[in-house]
Amino acid sequence: MNSPLVCDSCRTLHSAEDLDHFRMLGLEPTYNVNVADVRQRYLQLSREVHPDRHAVQTGESLKASARLNEAYRVVRDDVLRAEYLLELHGGVASTEDKTVAQDVLAATLMLHEEIAEAHAADDTGALTTLRQQVEERQSTTVAQIAELARQLPGDEDLRKQLRAALNAMKYYRKLAAEI
Amino acid sequence: MSADEPIIGIDLGTTFSLVAYADERGPHVLRDENGDARVPSVLAVLPGTPGAPPTLTIGWPARDHAVENVKTTVYSVKRLIGKGLADLEAELPFLNYTVAGGPRDTVQIDIDGRRYSPEEISSAILRKLRERAEQQLGGPVRKAVITVPAYFDDAQRQATRTAGEAAGLEVLRIVNEPTAATLAYGIGAKIADQPENNTGGISLPIPTCPTASSDASTADHTQTVVVYDLGGGTFDVSVLRIENGVFQVLSTAGDTRLGGDDFDRTLITLVTREVQEQFDVGITAPATRQALRTLAEAIKIRLSEQNSAQIELSLGDDRVYRRTITRADYEELTSPLVERTLELCTRALRDADLGSNDIQQVILVGGSTRMPLVRQRVEQYFGRPPYTALNPDEVVALGAAIQASILAGQQPDMLLLDVTPLSLGIETMGGAMGKLILRNTTIPCRATEMFTTFVDGQTAIKLNVLQGERELARDCRPLGEFELRGIPPMPAGMPKVEVEFLLDANGILNVSAVEQRSGTQASIQIVPSHGLTKDEVARITRESVEHAQEDIAAHRRIDLVNQVEFDIHKTQQMLAKVGAELNADERARIERDIVVLRELAQREQNLDRLQEALTAFGHSTLRLAELGIRGALADQTDKNATEER
Repeated sequence: MNSPLVCDSCRTLHSAEDLDHFRMLGLEPTYNVNVADVRQRYLQLSREVHPDRHAVQTGESLKASARLNEAYRVVRDDVLRAEYLLELHGGVASTEDKTVAQDVLAATLMLHEEIAEAHAADDTGALTTLRQQVEERQSTTVAQIAELARQLPGDEDLRKQLRAALNAMKYYRKLAAEI
Repeated sequence: MSADEPIIGIDLGTTFSLVAYADERGPHVLRDENGDARVPSVLAVLPGTPGAPPTLTIGWPARDHAVENVKTTVYSVKRLIGKGLADLEAELPFLNYTVAGGPRDTVQIDIDGRRYSPEEISSAILRKLRERAEQQLGGPVRKAVITVPAYFDDAQRQATRTAGEAAGLEVLRIVNEPTAATLAYGIGAKIADQPENNTGGISLPIPTCPTASSDASTADHTQTVVVYDLGGGTFDVSVLRIENGVFQVLSTAGDTRLGGDDFDRTLITLVTREVQEQFDVGITAPATRQALRTLAEAIKIRLSEQNSAQIELSLGDDRVYRRTITRADYEELTSPLVERTLELCTRALRDADLGSNDIQQVILVGGSTRMPLVRQRVEQYFGRPPYTALNPDEVVALGAAIQASILAGQQPDMLLLDVTPLSLGIETMGGAMGKLILRNTTIPCRATEMFTTFVDGQTAIKLNVLQGERELARDCRPLGEFELRGIPPMPAGMPKVEVEFLLDANGILNVSAVEQRSGTQASIQIVPSHGLTKDEVARITRESVEHAQEDIAAHRRIDLVNQVEFDIHKTQQMLAKVGAELNADERARIERDIVVLRELAQREQNLDRLQEALTAFGHSTLRLAELGIRGALADQTDKNATEER
């Protein structure tokens, strides 16, 4: 497999400090990935770089392995992958732009209150309904994120829209945790 | 790594410890002459008798004499390792030996006035296992893989590694017990030496070592398994995906203080209460408490096979407590413990984003899974009978040996990918826990964070590093205070110190820091909260518990030699004073005896023989001593008479 992490012929580890998560897995940085393929790449590379395989190169393999695990965690996940691509394409981080659409904010506040009420009343039926509502919103938002992330780098407006969708996802995750 | 240098696998358990080794026949546990692989994780100082010094024993002799040596028998030390006194409030009433606070927030065990860290006690047990391995493998053993509960935190893992090092073992890997067990099942077909299941047919329908099947389509070989590991003192549940020889842990959950000991304690509490009600006495006598502990364990085991058992406990003064306990009674007492394990199963499944229907196998590990209630509730919960082909006491050690053979490069297609059980973070302003690495992240993993200074010219920054899931720093477990030093002096806020938190494949934290403007590597001083400092580790490595045995012997030698000198001196004084009353032969014999004894005191290594010689000397000089005493009394009488006059 082509990964700059490991030398194909001599099996030694290369320093991969400047590699992005996609290139580490031997992929181009694009949103569309085949998750099963990503996993196979990850497992095969793990066999090469994991510290268990390197009695000698322990320090290097520890770092390479940590970076590979992080790359796999991000690239396989639909939301983290979009977030990471946005960063690669010069979009701003969530700490700098916390904007969400007005309707998302309103819906979140309402759901937050309803969840608190359902908890107070110990109403499991209501909680189940609320969970379904939050999950629906999450899947709609993930679809939206995917749609936008496929068009990256795009223009600044697209990157702002993607930022807002990713921020909305954070709100919904918090709600899900509350339930 | 030299191929001929063996790497052993060790299961360092709360109740029992085992050692295993994988050779070309496969992994096998190393047994004693009775065919038992288990070494009780018990250390005792047995009292000396006249002519025999106190001795340190480990394993069966220590366990078998626990009732006679209540205060000097140390068991379940795994529940103390990496803990502080405040963590152990619920624990201490059930320990019959003395536990005291140690440096910082650590504990020490007091045996006859000498204090030991839990690491030292564990190292003595590890040394015993190492000796067994050296005898059976016929050569020195210096490298090991040691297993720990998956839910062990950084302090508990580091303490276990320290114990290994103090036992003269380089600990190449700390492996999680449930993960090790899965390895053993994963190559079940190759497992040798299974007296309980010597059929050769013990293999899970799990993809085994894929050397034979690496060409087969990959998707078909994926399986998701749950390991339910209820040991003597700890509970773990892990969810794993096994695919083409890669064992990937998806999630783990557990409780490092929930195990067989806690099942015993429900019975101890019941009996203590009923004795109080019936006889109006508390069970306070140490020997009775120890007897009750042994009894509770025996009853638990009996109730796994029978429907009822008799409890009989002698309370002294002809008072005897008697009771029949049925399996139903016992299950009612212990069912909250079982339910707690199932709650943790729910959490592990949720973290893995799976439901119980997604699980293809449930593997039971740990001696406590022999309890019928456990098996029954686990079967109900997962909707399938659990898999138990391997001996639950031995499977973890076998897995440790397999991991050892992976590290030795003998299993080219197998790989273990484990996770960290606890989130890692730092205390932020206002006392919150700022998480940097989330629980169930695959290890090795890393996180970086930027820090700066608040005061002009500040050269050091202190960080409080934490593990846990709670929101507030004070509810999480402090790993210790990390001080970054050697930051070049700059105006406040100017330094950019990037700190890297790296969890290695053992689940142990490594921290490094660089000031980015100057490129200076900051040094890091760590004061562990619940562990030993570097100096303390060096000390216990030097002075192992076995040296305590030597200490005891050395002390006795000094005492004996001093006694010899004292007795000889006394004898010579009396010879000078009243020697004339003895005949010449008798005087000559005593002179000869003195020379012989003095010479013996110089060279005799067997202290028992020296003691015998000293006793014999006492007998042979008895007449002289009597004459001396009579003479002294006569002197006294003369003196009194003179004064009266």
